[in-house]
Amino acid sequence: MAGAVVVAVTIYMAFAGASASWQYYLTADECLAREDTLAKDRLRVGGKVAAKTLQVSSDRRQIAFTFQTAKGRLAVLCAGPPPDNLVEGMDVVVEGRLKGPGLLQGEKLLTRCASKYKSSSADASGKPSEAAAARRP
Amino acid sequence: MIVAGQLALLTAFITAGFSAFALLAGTACERRGLQRAGTVSAAACLVLLTAVTAILIRALLARDFRFACVAEGTDRLLPWYYSLSAFWVGQAGSLLLWSWLLSILAMVFGLWPRSGREPLRPTAFGILMAYLGFLLAVMIFGADPMQPSLEASREGTGLSPLLQHPVMLLHPPIVFLGYAGWAIPFALAAAALITGRLESDWVKQSRPWSLFSWVVLGCGILLGADWAYEELGWGGYWSWDPVENGSLIPWIVGTVLIHALMAWQYRGVLKKTSLALAVATFALCNFATFLTRSGIFSSLHAFSQSPIGWMFLAWMFVLLAGGFVLLLVRRGQLRPQQPVRSFWTRQSLLVLASLGLLLLALVAVAGTTAIPLSRILLGRAIVVGPDFYNGVLVPVGVLLLVTISLVPLLSWGRPPTGEQKRAIRLCVAGGTVAVAAAMLGGVRHPLGLAVVAAVAVTVLSLAAALVLEVRQQQPSLAWPGLRRALGQHRRQYAGFIVHLAFICLAVGVTGSSLGTQRYEATLAEGEAINWADRKVRFVRWIEQRLPDQVVVATELEIGGERAKTFHLLPARHFYTLQRIWTTQVAIHADWAGDFYTILHDNNGQGRASFTLLVNPLMRWMWLSGGVALAGTLLALWPARRSASQHVSERHGGNDPRD
Repeated sequence: MAGAVVVAVTIYMAFAGASASWQYYLTADECLAREDTLAKDRLRVGGKVAAKTLQVSSDRRQIAFTFQTAKGRLAVLCAGPPPDNLVEGMDVVVEGRLKGPGLLQGEKLLTRCASKYKSSSADASGKPSEAAAARRP
Repeated sequence: MIVAGQLALLTAFITAGFSAFALLAGTACERRGLQRAGTVSAAACLVLLTAVTAILIRALLARDFRFACVAEGTDRLLPWYYSLSAFWVGQAGSLLLWSWLLSILAMVFGLWPRSGREPLRPTAFGILMAYLGFLLAVMIFGADPMQPSLEASREGTGLSPLLQHPVMLLHPPIVFLGYAGWAIPFALAAAALITGRLESDWVKQSRPWSLFSWVVLGCGILLGADWAYEELGWGGYWSWDPVENGSLIPWIVGTVLIHALMAWQYRGVLKKTSLALAVATFALCNFATFLTRSGIFSSLHAFSQSPIGWMFLAWMFVLLAGGFVLLLVRRGQLRPQQPVRSFWTRQSLLVLASLGLLLLALVAVAGTTAIPLSRILLGRAIVVGPDFYNGVLVPVGVLLLVTISLVPLLSWGRPPTGEQKRAIRLCVAGGTVAVAAAMLGGVRHPLGLAVVAAVAVTVLSLAAALVLEVRQQQPSLAWPGLRRALGQHRRQYAGFIVHLAFICLAVGVTGSSLGTQRYEATLAEGEAINWADRKVRFVRWIEQRLPDQVVVATELEIGGERAKTFHLLPARHFYTLQRIWTTQVAIHADWAGDFYTILHDNNGQGRASFTLLVNPLMRWMWLSGGVALAGTLLALWPARRSASQHVSERHGGNDPRD
């Protein structure tokens, strides 16, 4: 009897937690392709920050960039402060909702904490991105 | 040196394979000579792996960039201890560390002198060597730690600044030691199932190794949380990320295993469950490696991806399928001896708490694998957030608190006596008083009140259990009776100390989850604000140039009418080689809570932006690791064997309080 109660409560709480927190997980290209059907959904979008698009406000409270996509343009606006290792060309995940055509309003920006460091600040030519070095505290 | 290392690795693989064959075949055919050859091969394998480890350590310390591991994880300006930590930063190095630790533990297990009549040991030793052979094969075919660097480089790419933290010198090796340790209870369970020797021998041998692995993995997880709290600069310590879950899930299942082993040893119940849990815990350690290496999960941890993740997944399914088939074959020998007859017994609460923990583990597995599962089942990838996990964690946590608080006053197999019932009523009354006092003190949240009640009832019930024990031993002499009670039932009280560690963890997690305050401030030099009953003043900027980094720090003075004034130096570091900034948070900690400060930036006009946080009761969470370690060491300490114990063991009896 007590075991049945524990199982029932756990299933109920897991279901309630899942309904409150689930999000579609998409790549930036998938998000653009299905833009029309995702207007009301919570999204977690993963992709690379496109070169020369990352902008951080002077007080570091606002972040803007564009995802690198094969076709089209997906811009992101997100509240800061940005993670330390955020640089152009790196893989990031943005949690938020679509606010208009090609615009993702992010609530949270996640970068990968480098359990294995790969020189993420290097661009295709192997040189460090100037954007990474340009920011000063 | 690279060629020597590669040859040593290859030879270690061959010796591990031969050792496994010799030990298993020697036991099956009862040929002592073959068994001895297996043990000698296992020792040779350990020597060879130690040589490979020494070669890599030497290369790391000498910055020998001909090794890919060294070139990708160090640079010339890196301090020697962080250079050493590059050993376990990469995939190949971490596999080598895991293998080396496993070979040490396997030798300790194989040669540890005990009673001498342990028929499962050679088979289990052989299984451990077979697993070591698997790890070595993965290294040789998928992730070679002796791989030469492709480019002749005079400088390495350096270690990620986020990993340049003292905790990172300990966290990965400790987690791998935990994973290696869980191989031993698995090997014993597999040996018991294969040979059909399902008496309690495997339980007695598994117990110390399970406790060791449990506390090591638990401390490793706690250190990882501490690193996230101090280094990642977001104010939290746990985000239910797949990689974090990867190590937590086997730890939860291992917790249940330890309790199931007790139920088997003392009451002859949960036999199939114990064996299944030993297999599952170890299989889940392999699943954790799959999580980090497969790349199919949405994780914030950027491990390098490779096919070795799939090798570990395949291995996990082999373990689970093999374990299931063997359990099915042996099910006739695994019937419970003394089924549960009363709810108010230790084993009933143990079963209930175990059920809760297993459901929590199941939920963590479901949440972690949500992306591939939803792709298969729904055709769309779905992730779940922290609410999914926390929603289950809260009721399971409350269930655990209730069971932990009552357990000292319950017995194995029989309902509570009149004295125990009276003591339970008194403890519950004490808990009610504590809740009323907490409400008067301003605590309103039901979860906070539940933790207060649990703390009070647990401490009171532990004291009451001791009093009852002393009365039974020597009613007139309190101190000698207490000493005798603690001495005779040391393991039981050690277990209760570990339960107190869980209470500390619950206090820390609940306090920091419910009572966190956060404030975003932008201040000019000399400016002050009043926040959270404190005055926070931005004293000055500090700039410092080090050989490999530029440090920009701020000095904050934090004081209050009722508190001592203290100074904090939140900073940002610019690493010149990697050309990235990192945040160094500054924390003032005491038993009431942490004052946590994050420096964000200079906004261009000499003003600085900060995030200020008050995280109540955090220190209790870190304390839980120390308490658990102390309790486990006390439980593992070898017992003095008295004449009565010899007699008891000869008759196959166990004192349920040990």
